[in-house]
Amino acid sequence: MKIFEDREGHIQQKGEAAAPLSCSNESLAGAVSQRACVYSGARVVLNPVTDALHLVHGPIGCASYTWDIRGSLTSGPDLYKNSFSTDMKELDVVFGGEKKLALAIRELVGGYHPSAVFVYSTCIVGIIGDDLRAVCKKAAEEVGIPVVPVLSEGFRGNKNEGYKAACNALFDLMGTRDYEPCYPAVNLLGEYNVAGDLWPVKPLFEEMGVEIVASFTGDARVAEIQRAHCARLNLVQCSGSMTFLAKKMEERYDIPYKRISFFGLEDMASALRCTAEFFGGSMPSKAEEIIDRETARVMPQIEYHRSRVSGKKAAIYMGGAAKAVSLVRAFQELGMEVVIIGTQTGDRDDYQKISYMVRDGTVIIDDANPLELKELLIRQEADLLVAGVKERFLAYKLKIAFCDFNHDRTTNFEGFQGMVNFAREVDVSINSPVWRLPLERASRINNKTPLSLGAGVLDVHELCSS
Amino acid sequence: MSTSFAAVNPCSMCMPMGSVMVFRGIEGCMPLFHGSQGCSTYMRLHLAHHFREPVDIASSALNEKGAVYGGAANLKQGLKNVIEGYRPKAIGIATTCLAETIGDDVPQIVREFQETEPLAKGVTIISVSTPSYAASHEVGYRVALKAAVQALAKRSKPNGRLNLLVGSIISPAEVRYIKRLLNDWGLGYILLPDISETLDAPLSGDLPRISAGGTPLAEIRDLANSVATVTLGGFVQEPGAGDFLGKEFEIPHIALPLPIGLEFTDRLAGCLEELTGRPMPDSYDRERGRLLDAMVDAHKLLADVKTAVFGDTEVVLGLTKLMAELGMKPQIIATGTINPAFAKSASELVPGSKVMTDADFSEIAQEIGERDIELMVGPFTGRHLAGKENVPLLRVGLPNHDRFGAARQMILGYEGSMFLVDGMANALLEQKEIQRRFS
Repeated sequence: MKIFEDREGHIQQKGEAAAPLSCSNESLAGAVSQRACVYSGARVVLNPVTDALHLVHGPIGCASYTWDIRGSLTSGPDLYKNSFSTDMKELDVVFGGEKKLALAIRELVGGYHPSAVFVYSTCIVGIIGDDLRAVCKKAAEEVGIPVVPVLSEGFRGNKNEGYKAACNALFDLMGTRDYEPCYPAVNLLGEYNVAGDLWPVKPLFEEMGVEIVASFTGDARVAEIQRAHCARLNLVQCSGSMTFLAKKMEERYDIPYKRISFFGLEDMASALRCTAEFFGGSMPSKAEEIIDRETARVMPQIEYHRSRVSGKKAAIYMGGAAKAVSLVRAFQELGMEVVIIGTQTGDRDDYQKISYMVRDGTVIIDDANPLELKELLIRQEADLLVAGVKERFLAYKLKIAFCDFNHDRTTNFEGFQGMVNFAREVDVSINSPVWRLPLERASRINNKTPLSLGAGVLDVHELCSS
Repeated sequence: MSTSFAAVNPCSMCMPMGSVMVFRGIEGCMPLFHGSQGCSTYMRLHLAHHFREPVDIASSALNEKGAVYGGAANLKQGLKNVIEGYRPKAIGIATTCLAETIGDDVPQIVREFQETEPLAKGVTIISVSTPSYAASHEVGYRVALKAAVQALAKRSKPNGRLNLLVGSIISPAEVRYIKRLLNDWGLGYILLPDISETLDAPLSGDLPRISAGGTPLAEIRDLANSVATVTLGGFVQEPGAGDFLGKEFEIPHIALPLPIGLEFTDRLAGCLEELTGRPMPDSYDRERGRLLDAMVDAHKLLADVKTAVFGDTEVVLGLTKLMAELGMKPQIIATGTINPAFAKSASELVPGSKVMTDADFSEIAQEIGERDIELMVGPFTGRHLAGKENVPLLRVGLPNHDRFGAARQMILGYEGSMFLVDGMANALLEQKEIQRRFS
């Protein structure tokens, strides 16, 4: 398949490829990448911190389009659901925005009393050269709470650079608060509590006797992040965004990390098991007890949906590779075949892992665009696409079922019950009667002589054509 | 809390966004942002949410190197790939703050591209300067509309038609309504931009590279040969495309408010009658009568209801006008755009009301708290505030991400105004029912 000349290396069919998939480079100009920018990467990682004030230093657009963009829920403070911007205007660009930024921080902290401030830089800040670090440092001293610079100028790389900027910001906060956990304690890295994902999962850990110090960053409080260094183990779910932080924490605080996923029955079970094994004692047997009980509870419903979707073909296009990998296993659990799998920001290791997991004939694609996705969906005869909002309407137009697995889904998919929810969503979309409605109305004009109509009807005809 | 150094919960978007709403209304036109990848992705997401349609916007994907050494190479590569991939009839380039600040000379880069690239042959390229920090999406829309007309309109022979310029952002269904009105009237016209099909496409089982519909390029060229120009939603905007056609081709230009409410719709009807000498079709007079009937039906419920209206300038003025006609009391009339003419008009429509420009929702919140507002009308971005104040919000305008049917919003003309009257009345009734149930 060839749509853009320089994109050929980014698309492969398993079983045919000789060289490794091209990835981790900049998006091709004019190809309508589904990726966003550095700022977006930083914003999606940090935004769920509920009691922080997220201030975007830049023109209004960057704040407008990311206002409450994530479906991350909160059990308490909702400051993160506001959108704060320095709303840079022409004069700020000419004379520099540092002064305005400093005044804005002071004013906003006074008015909203946040636990911390994250200050994001946007493209323009990088060009005019505002010294974000210096302004934040001075402001922190003045207002007496952490004011953390997030160096996320949009053009300085892709979303991965934004993840790093966010991890650096989180790392800056950490270690500033002491804490003695009462139980064996973990942090969850790359768990964003989208649609309340975290809430059914947390009790399972608590039942095993495990305390979650901080969730990065779903339903998180600044104080939890500040004492996250007191945990003994990091469980990394969204590896694309958080492995960088896990490594930094291992280096500085000697906390080991394990890659897990809460999505899919098998992955959820493995997550509990590997945590239990780490802490040992009676925990592994407790883990098995929970797994058996929960699996038995949800299995009848999953069996029901599996019987309705098994054998169907799924296409996966995700931002990060971890979710894509987890989805492959979940589709196996539903008896479905994965025919396309792609990510915006996967690296070589990710694609290798994916390649091991999928069957021959599956198309693997890096940094796809709408034209390629369309062509692949048709060629691979996908019955369902799992992706985000931008891809939803592309699938619908092609009469392909869709499941939203991104920021703004409203159904929780993690844990045992989450898998039931996922199976149901896949089922109702694939098996909806809307796909079977006729696109064309059957014409009733035929060769038979029509009824001989009265003069009145013919008059109407004449009126219409005149 | 209202702030002076920061915007809190914005009530506006940035300039390039407005340009997309024009470029997507031109047949076979692909929008391209000259800037970093995120701008196009974010605005695609924003518009896809609103219209529930795929919205492709290309990007020159400027990177660090481009930011330092200039973005010409990226822009040219972007143009080339768009032509190869999308086979467009036209490309609408809008700049972003990044491209503007590094000082790229886009018209010059486009000229070079057209001179050296064989693929460029036959593709119309329209470029417009839309630095995000300079103004809002409304201004972006207006300058893109002017840029399209400036780039294409060309004198040939008189066509005896009317130019109908859509001067501010309305919905695809509303464009369809305006076209139906003009067709029923039997008038020859050129309407620009026409998003009626491009952003609300019927399901066909296929997805064209660029969605079908939009004003044909030949029609935009022919704008220079019409007898008159009417701009709908050009009430408080600076002179734009319509005035350009007036100055350049001596075509009389009449700028009208959006036809929302009785008087503003009468004004459009009267203007068309005066220009063409043809009476408005009887069915629309009957529609007018039904609007009056609906207004009478709801007048007691709506009497003295204190409202907050916010969003795009022209839409807000139309809504305010209708509310005044109904005996409602608009207390807060706000827009996120800086526009002194809007402030003047709004104050004249409802003396004593709080008129706000360059407003954000923290400022609107402060005013709402002091005014016992009973109904909010505007984009879905007001939902947090509405929830906090426990006031019903009737969603009108862009963006509307959390309800279905934004592409089918219909608030124009006698018919649309009628839906608004019913909509406002029902929103208040539902609120009363909820209060009764939980009190």
